[in-house]
Amino acid sequence: MSGLAWGALYGLAAGLVIAVAALIGVWGERKVAGRIQMRIGPQELGPFGLLQTLADTLKLVLKEDITPAAADVRIFRIAPLIVFAPIAMSFVIIPYASGFAPLDTSVGILFFMAVPAISVIGVLLAGWSSRNTYATIGGLRAAAQMISYELPRTLSILPFVLLAGSMRPLDIMDEWRWWWIPLTFIAFVVYFISSIAEVNRGPFDLPEAESELVAGYFADYSGIRWAIFMMAEYGGMVAAALFGAVFWFGGYLHLPGAFGVIMLIAMATLLAIGMIWVKWTFPRMRPDQLMGTAWKVLTPMALVQLVIIGVVIPWL
Amino acid sequence: MSLLVITIGLFSLGLYGILIRRDLVAILASIEVMLGSATLLLVGLAAAGTPMGTHEGAVEATGVMVIVLAAAEAAIGLALVISVARRFKTTRVDELAEVKG
Amino acid sequence: MSLESVIFAVLGIVAVSGGIVTVFARDVSRMAMGLGAFLVAVAGFFVYWGATFLGIVQLFVYIGGVLVLMIFAIMLVHRSPDGSPTIESRHDVAAIAVAGGLFFMVVTALRGVVPDSVDQGITSGPAELNEAFLGPMLTHFEMGGVLLLAVLVAVVVILGGDER
Repeated sequence: MSGLAWGALYGLAAGLVIAVAALIGVWGERKVAGRIQMRIGPQELGPFGLLQTLADTLKLVLKEDITPAAADVRIFRIAPLIVFAPIAMSFVIIPYASGFAPLDTSVGILFFMAVPAISVIGVLLAGWSSRNTYATIGGLRAAAQMISYELPRTLSILPFVLLAGSMRPLDIMDEWRWWWIPLTFIAFVVYFISSIAEVNRGPFDLPEAESELVAGYFADYSGIRWAIFMMAEYGGMVAAALFGAVFWFGGYLHLPGAFGVIMLIAMATLLAIGMIWVKWTFPRMRPDQLMGTAWKVLTPMALVQLVIIGVVIPWL
Repeated sequence: MSLLVITIGLFSLGLYGILIRRDLVAILASIEVMLGSATLLLVGLAAAGTPMGTHEGAVEATGVMVIVLAAAEAAIGLALVISVARRFKTTRVDELAEVKG
Repeated sequence: MSLESVIFAVLGIVAVSGGIVTVFARDVSRMAMGLGAFLVAVAGFFVYWGATFLGIVQLFVYIGGVLVLMIFAIMLVHRSPDGSPTIESRHDVAAIAVAGGLFFMVVTALRGVVPDSVDQGITSGPAELNEAFLGPMLTHFEMGGVLLLAVLVAVVVILGGDER
C-alpha cells in the first residue's frame, strides 16, 4: 500500500484507539475514584463492571440531538471535531515497538507538542458558537489555560532532545540510558502536571466544572457531541501517559516486537492511574492559581532543568 | 506557473481585503493572508531549487524568521485593536476618526 | 493525474477558498474559520514540499498562536452573545483595479523567473536548520528573540497600562 493509504489507516486506528482508551479510561476512573472514596465502583454490568461504559455509550447515542436555537449551527457542530482530531493525530508519532512508530518523522517531538495547540481553536469556537455567556467565559478560560500550559509542557521534553541530539522519537529511544531518569526528574514533574492541565483534567478542570460554570464551554452539548469532548479529554490523557512512559520510563525497553508494546502499555497504565489518582485527591484550583502555577512555578522549573542538562552535557 | 498564480492571487486577494473591509480585525486577518501567501511563495521557490542563502538550512530558517515576524506583528496589532476598541467602543474603521472633515 | 498533482490541487483549492472566505465573509466566526483553513493549507504545502519542521512551526505558531489571538480579540471586542455582528465591506472599482493590477503586474514580471513545477522539494532538516541558526543566521536568531521580548513587554504596556 502506498504511504498515503498507510497514513489513512493509522489515522483511523488512532481514532479507534481513542474510543477504546476512553471506554477503558472511564471505567478505570470510576473504579479508582471509588476505591479512593472507600467504595467499590461500578459492579453491576459485566465482570467488575467492565460493560458499564458500553451501556453509558449506548445511552448517549440514543439521546436526542439538541442544538440551542440561538447557536451558530454549523460551527456548533464542527467544534467538537476540531477538538478531537488533533488528539487522534498525536497518537501516531509515539514509538510503540522497536524501530516502529506509525509516523516516523525527524520532528516527532515537535509534532506531539504542536498538535494540541489546534484543539484550542475548537474549544474557543465551542464556547463562542453556543451564544451562551457562561459557555463563552468557560471557553476563554479553558483556552487561556491550555495555551499557558503548552509552554512548560514543551520545555519539559527539551532535555531529551538535548541529550539525544535529535527530535526523532526512535533516535531518542536508541540513545536512551537508564540514568536519564533521575537526571530529568524535574522535567518529569513539570510534564506530568502540565499534561493534566493541558487536557483540562484533574485539579485544573475549572472550565468544565459542573458546580462552577455549569460545565463551561460544553454546557450546550448533549449526547454524542459531549461524548466527543470527553473522548478528546481521555484520549489526551492516554496520549500524554504513553508519551511520558516512552521517555521517562524507557518505553519498550528494547524488548522485541509485541513484548515491547505490552511493556509500554503497562507503563502508560501506571501513569494514567497516577493522573486519575491526582484528580480525585486534590481540590480544584482557582483560575488565578492555575495561571500563576503555569507561569511562575512550572516554566522556571523547566528552565532550571534545561540549565542542569546544559551544564551536565559536556561530561556525558 | 501555477505556484505563482496561486500565491500572487492570494496576495492580491489579501490586498483587496485590506482595501474593502470596514472592520479592524478583518483588516488584520487580510494582512495575515498576505503574509501567508508571501511565505508560501518564498518556500515554494526554495523547493523549486532556488537557493535561499549560503547555508543549506537557510530556507527553513528564513521561513521560521518570517513566521516569527508575522506572529509579533499580529500580537501588537491585536493589542492595539483591543486598546482602540476600549477607547472608542467600536472597531468600525469609518467611525474611528477623531479629526473629522 | 498523478497523486502529486491531486494533492497540490486539493491544497491549492483549500488555500484559495480559505482566502476568499476570509476576505468576503460577513460573519466574524466564518472569517476566523476561513483564515484557519488557509493557514492549514499553507502548513500542508510546507509539509508536502519537504519542509516538515517549517510546517509544524506554522501549525504551532500561526494556528495555535496567531489564530487563537485573533479569536480572543474577536471575543473581547465583539462582545455580543446574541447574534453575531456582521463585518461590512465596501466593494468599489478602485480596490478591484488596484488588487487586479498588482496581480497582473507581478505575475507578468515574475513569469520568466519562477519555475513551472516544484520538483526538488526541500531536503534540509532540523540539523541543517540548527547549523544555519547557530552559524550564518545567528544575528537573525538573536534579533528574533529580542523582537519577541520587546513585543511581550509592548503588549503588556498597551493593554495593562492604566486601567480606566
